[in-house]
This record gives sequence, structure tokens and C-alpha cells, in this order.
Amino acid sequence: MTKEFGVPPVVFPSGGNPTVAAGGNTQQRLVPIAPFQPPRPSNSGIPFMSFEVGSAAATTSGPIGGGTGPIGGVANFDDEEPLLDELGIHPDQIWKKTKSILNPFRANPTFHKDSDLSGPIFLYLSFCLFQLLAGKIQFGVILGWIVVSSIFLYVVFNMLAGRHGNLDLHTCTSVIGYCLLPVVILSAISLFVPQNGVLRPGIAGVFVIWATRACTNLMVAVADGGEEHRGLIAYACFLIYTLFSLLVVF
Amino acid sequence: MNPKSNPFSAAGSGLIRGGLSAYGEKIFGSGSEYVQSNISKCFSDPQYYFQVNDHYVRNKLKIVLLPFLNRVSEIFLVGIRKRIKVFLKTKIITEPVGGRLSYEPPINDINAPDLYIPCMSFATYLVLAGISLGLSGKFTPEALNWKFVTGMIGWFSEVMLLKVSILSLGGGEAPLLDMVAYAGYTFTGMCVAVLGKITLGYTYYLIILWTCLCMGIFFIKTMNRTLLSEVRSYDSSKHHYLLLCTALTQFPLMFCLSNTSGT
Repeated sequence: MTKEFGVPPVVFPSGGNPTVAAGGNTQQRLVPIAPFQPPRPSNSGIPFMSFEVGSAAATTSGPIGGGTGPIGGVANFDDEEPLLDELGIHPDQIWKKTKSILNPFRANPTFHKDSDLSGPIFLYLSFCLFQLLAGKIQFGVILGWIVVSSIFLYVVFNMLAGRHGNLDLHTCTSVIGYCLLPVVILSAISLFVPQNGVLRPGIAGVFVIWATRACTNLMVAVADGGEEHRGLIAYACFLIYTLFSLLVVF
Repeated sequence: MNPKSNPFSAAGSGLIRGGLSAYGEKIFGSGSEYVQSNISKCFSDPQYYFQVNDHYVRNKLKIVLLPFLNRVSEIFLVGIRKRIKVFLKTKIITEPVGGRLSYEPPINDINAPDLYIPCMSFATYLVLAGISLGLSGKFTPEALNWKFVTGMIGWFSEVMLLKVSILSLGGGEAPLLDMVAYAGYTFTGMCVAVLGKITLGYTYYLIILWTCLCMGIFFIKTMNRTLLSEVRSYDSSKHHYLLLCTALTQFPLMFCLSNTSGT
């Protein structure tokens, strides 16, 4: 004595209907109605703007991957690029490039051929953070000095290299930024070294020489025309990193 | 700079890089034509001043800092005509190229001016001034930026002085970048002075007098031979007074700029 309830099948406008009720086939041919179709007053004088979502879904034949679904980009989300890729930040590349600077005796220029600025920005922020821990608020100063020194090195390198010089400003800034890693480590260490004394400039000297070596090797490997002017470029890099170490030491 | 290289040729993807390259195109794309057309009227080719190598730099520094040694570098000499010119400390002239006389680049001629040494010595002066400020406890980044500005003003005023003195002698075909180079050589002397101040304390005053003298002698020697050989009319006494004046202005300039105990 059970009553049969005629339950209409639930039809989703996006995608095929996974569960087909037995007796509801004919109803699938009906216009698929959006789940929250706003009620249309049949004889009311109030003008009501209804969303045409349902009719839009009806006009398109078959399910499209949720393009006109009422919850807009939900199904779109799977097709989007990951955020970091879209911004051009590749963490594993940044990590590889940073690790290649860690060896002070041999530079590995293969990763640095395609330059990027996100690693240098990260290193700049950590440099500023360590300076902040030391009580010096120097965000603008460091950024300004990085810009000026990369323009300086760009001009000097291209002038020295002459006709063969093909360093571009983006690569120059990228290399200078990555070679700031020793200076960042220096600023971290100098938080624990006493202020007055000969130890501070001594340690700074070691790190500056490390940064200079790394920068010169990378510069000469990444752009053409620098081999015969190695010493001259090394002196320019040395001056740049000494300037940054002055910020740390004093 | 290689005129064909596009500084922002983006090979990668990404918002930041794409945006930067587009912006850079706008600046440098239109800028390079402007530069090539207008600046070449004011400046001679700056590439010439950077053709240096290690050997040139070392020997030139010796000449600048110790100008009374009459050593002549034999390694660059080829041919009798060049030997005579080096002996007289004039610039070596190559064969006319395209109807215009051109001088040998610094890599071949020890007496030619270059822009690498002045630029590097200016930067070294800044670093040394920073160290000396730090040792006296007055280091702030703003103070260093101020030193940079005063240094540039000093350099500029020296160039103006040179230009005015050449023009007043009547006939100045000397290229502007030559004068910028010669004015910049005083920064090497200043570096030695500041180095002396850092290391030796009270002997700083002696050192600064010594370097002023050296720079003055270097100035007189080079200007006498090189720049004024361009001048047609030869008025001997006015000549010498002007030279002496320009050499004497080295003193207050250097004193002013290397005085790091002030602001």
C-alpha cells in the first residue's frame, strides 16, 4: 500500500545529469532551470529584473564546462594558471639560483642566463628585515642604492665591452640582486657582533670579497665582452658591495 | 653601448617582466633616437673614453698621482712618430678618418684622457668618505647621499671652469668629455687624501697639501700640452696666468670636498 510519489528528477544546468531518474526522461528535455531562479511575478506591477541565467543555459546546446553557470567562475577555477606562475615567480628556480651563489669559489652561471627580479626582491626584503632588527629603517635607501648601482654597473660594463657588449639592465639588476646574498648573511651575523671593534669590519671584508667574486664571475659568464676587462669590472662590483656593507657595519 | 641591443628584450613570461619590458620599450625605444641625434652634437662618442685595460689604468694612475716622474711607457710605442709624440706628452693623432682627425684611444696612448678612472675614483671617494664618516660616528645614508651631491656639484663646477678658461683663450674645439675627464682626475687625489685621513689622522693636512700640489702639476702639464694645442692664437702670459689660476682652484675645491668632519 505504498504510494508512488512522482518525484521529478533533479536537473543541473551545467553538465550532464549523473543520476537519471527512471521516469523522468521526458522532463530532461525541458528547459533546465537554474536552482535559484528568482520568482517571476505573473501579474504584479512591480518591475522585476530577472536574471537570464536559465535561458542562457537553454540556448546553448549541451553542457558547457560551467561557463554560464550561476556561480560564475567556480568551474573556471580549475583551468586557471596557478598564481605564482601567472606572476612569473618560480620558487624552485629562485632556490637554485640562490644556492649557486653559496659556493664562493666557483660560480655556476647556467641558472642565471634567464634573469628574474623576484629573487632579488625577496633578498632585498630580507636585507631590510635584518637591518630593521638592528634598529635601522632603511627600506628606501637600500632600494635606491640597488637601482643606482645597477645602472652604474650596466653603463660601465657596456662601455668597457664596446661593440660586443650585450648586457641588459634586467640581467644586470638580477645578478646584482642575487649577489646581495652574502651581504644579507652579513647583516644577519652582525646582529650578534659587538658594535665597536675590529671584528665587524673584518667580517664585512670577507663577505664583500665573496660577493665581489660571485658577481664578477656571473657578469662575465652571463654577458659577452667582459673577459678581458675582468679586473676593471671586479673593481666596480667591489665598490658596490662595499657601499652596502657600510650600511651594515656603521 | 651596443645600439642594436634592446635592453628589455623579454624572453620569459610573467606579469612583472612583461610590464617592465613594455615600459622600458617606451622609454628606451624612443630615447635612443633622441640620444643619437642630439647628444652626439654635445658629446663626442663616449665609447672612446672607455677603451682601457689594466695596464693603461695602472700607468695612468702613476702619472696622475706622481706627475713629476718623467717615465715614458715604452710598451705602447710603435713607430718613430709616435715615440716623439709620447715624449712631448701630446696626444697621438691617427690618420684622418673620413676627413676628421681622430686621436688614438686610451688603450694605445697613455696621454689620452679616459672616463673610466674619473668615474671609479669618484665612486671610491664616496666609499672612502662613507668609511671616514662611519669611523667618526656620523654615518647616515643621507650624509652619504649629500656627499654624492656635493661631489657632483664640485665636478660640474670644475668642468665649467675649464670650459670658461678654454673659451676665454679664444678657440675651443676641445671636446666636452675631455674636460669632464680631466676634471675627474682630481678625485684620485682626493681619494688619497681621504685615505690618509682615515689611516693617519693628523698627517691628513700634510697629505692634502701634497696631493693638491701633485694634482696642480698634473693639471698644468696636461693642459699645457693637450688642450691648448688646439688653441690657435698664442698669447703666452695670459695663458700662464690662467693655467696657474685653474691649478690653484684645486686647493679650495679639494679641501672643501674632503672635509668630512663637516656636514
